[in-house]
Amino acid sequence: MPLRFHWMFPKGGEVGMKTAQETSRVLTTKETSPASMPDMAGWTTFARAAEEAGIESALLSFSRYEPDTILVACAVGMATTKLKTIVAYRSGLIQPATFVQQINTLSTLIQGRLAINVVAGSSAAEQRGYGDYLEHDERYARAAEFLAICRSFWCANGNGRGVDFDGRYYRLEAGKIFTPYVGGGRSGPEIYVSGHSDAARGLAMTQASCWLRLIDTPENLRSQVATFREAGREVCLRLCVVSRPTSEEALQAALALLPDESIGREERAILQRSDSRTLHDALAAADDRGWLGEHLWAGLVPYYGSSAITLVGTPDELADAFMAYGEIGITQFIIAGWPKLDEMVRFGRDVLPLVRLREGS
Amino acid sequence: MALRFHWMLPKAGEVVPGASQTPQEALRYRADSTTEGSTAPRPDLTGWTHFARVAEHAGIESVLISFSRYEPDPLVVSSALGCATKKLTFMLAFRAGLTQPAAFVQQLNTLSCMLGGRVSLNLVAGSSLAEQRGYGDFLAHDDRYARAEEFLTICEQFWRNGGEADFRGNFYCVEKGKVHTPYNTNGSANGSRGPEIYISGHSEPALRLATEHGSCWLRVADTPEAIAPGVARMREAGISVGLRLCIIARATHDEAVRAAESLVPRDDGGGQAASVKLKDDSLMHRQAATNGSGWISANLWTGLVPFYGPVWTTLAGTPRELADTFLAWRDAGVEQFILSGWPELDTVEMFGRDVLPLIREGEACR
Repeated sequence: MPLRFHWMFPKGGEVGMKTAQETSRVLTTKETSPASMPDMAGWTTFARAAEEAGIESALLSFSRYEPDTILVACAVGMATTKLKTIVAYRSGLIQPATFVQQINTLSTLIQGRLAINVVAGSSAAEQRGYGDYLEHDERYARAAEFLAICRSFWCANGNGRGVDFDGRYYRLEAGKIFTPYVGGGRSGPEIYVSGHSDAARGLAMTQASCWLRLIDTPENLRSQVATFREAGREVCLRLCVVSRPTSEEALQAALALLPDESIGREERAILQRSDSRTLHDALAAADDRGWLGEHLWAGLVPYYGSSAITLVGTPDELADAFMAYGEIGITQFIIAGWPKLDEMVRFGRDVLPLVRLREGS
Repeated sequence: MALRFHWMLPKAGEVVPGASQTPQEALRYRADSTTEGSTAPRPDLTGWTHFARVAEHAGIESVLISFSRYEPDPLVVSSALGCATKKLTFMLAFRAGLTQPAAFVQQLNTLSCMLGGRVSLNLVAGSSLAEQRGYGDFLAHDDRYARAEEFLTICEQFWRNGGEADFRGNFYCVEKGKVHTPYNTNGSANGSRGPEIYISGHSEPALRLATEHGSCWLRVADTPEAIAPGVARMREAGISVGLRLCIIARATHDEAVRAAESLVPRDDGGGQAASVKLKDDSLMHRQAATNGSGWISANLWTGLVPFYGPVWTTLAGTPRELADTFLAWRDAGVEQFILSGWPELDTVEMFGRDVLPLIREGEACR
């Protein structure tokens, strides 16, 4: 199976931004950021460029700083014909039956071009603002019930008998959603579960089709990936790329992304307040060495967040790196770059054809 | 203020552009929409877009998108349908209790930004215990209203306090809640306070919720005399009153009466009446079941209510009779109406062409 490449969906206003600094997460959480506003013009431009670049899906992230993912996926899906969306949602904020009703409705409107990324939540403070007071591991226990119920709805409404469930967090009696999931011969969407904690990995193993995690070196990932593949689960890596014609240009382009120190201090404070294992892992990587491998750089994490671990190199070097991940069993990647649109166009033009070439031989 | 007219969004698959449909066929499609094999659960953008444009042209302000497990999700449908329309407002039915208020506000605010504020809400507390339990909700009738009260209190905080809320109640706790995507008020009649909120129901908790949190109380149509006490209470509280009803207009009174009575199912075997009984947890439904059926005035008819429920209360007559009845309700203090008919498309066209101009004339003379 060919490697599958997805891209991070731009935040509101991001498509028009020319520098990486403007797009730092610290700025997008400010009151004045355009990230809170739907941006159909920018999003449509991005979505069409993604389709042309050979990108399979765009991941829409969920937070209180951004518009709702399900409704944005609907509007963007109406404006595109091929691109899929991976819709992130937090499992504790909605009854599973209602979530299934929304996802099924969306699937019929955009011909099933969607997948879901169920997130248990990343910050206790943000969760409490949503009315959710559970601690980290309990959030995962609830997410497991949530997904078990969703999957039961997607299995012909409990095989035609209606969905019954009596758990710790949810209880349902003869649940039935009449609007069906429509798309690609699947009875429900692909399910991505992200996170590095034991709880997250356990959830991915039991309830997901794909485990989503931050990129690391192939050596560090090998044994975990093997475990998931043996269990019939895919593994997808979140990363950023900087691709330039020469290694030296790539390195200079990467270093030029470092913004001013004040943003670094604020982002570091956000990362330290979080109760997410993923974020702590990323910060430790950045603090330890910066460079995790010859082309893998964590130097941007303190500025742009945990998902900013970056593959830096020439198109050939990057294609080789993707193939090396393919060899240990990784099948999917969710990528970002700066500026988002330009780096994606470069990736589609320079890197992806080399990957396909190597896959063919 | 001029009377405001809204319409029910037809069920998916009910409107087929270019095809004609008898009133009986339209009624049958709608009555069967909750049974296995109906196409109503599948969104139908072609039919809906056609209907929406005809309704806009007819002078209809909003379409009400109902919520049930038999239908697509109203928020997602509005997001799709909003792109295809310019003026129409989407009145979304929703059930408090199925989503955290902050997540709901985030969805609604997102929609309001994408649709330029063309959004309003119809809160329903749920009418069937079996359906609620299928959604994971096991509260009893009055508790559902108590929870809805907290739900709306939190939503209103978000809308009125620049996206921030703090709340401790029996059903919800929100600590330093913040939704960054704002409610977009372009074109909204409700200023910067969030969407207009329609609250339906005949029970005391429903009435109380309407006076405390509603912009408009929705009830089933009845004679001006019968609705007078409820209307007076709402108007004193500064709340608008809206009526839900179906309409049938024909050239003569007798034709309209015959058209109405021809809709009564003949060989139903009690199936429809049994399905109405399933809505066991709604006072509106229990009242309808005990009130009997027939002509409750020269033009107001409840002949379909035992089979399909109270919102099938029907106003039948000539365009002039219909216009006069709407004006009589206006005199009684009613300001808004949510209409439907059989078929929806023909009826909304007729209403815009034959009835609405007479109403506007009458309003100008009063």
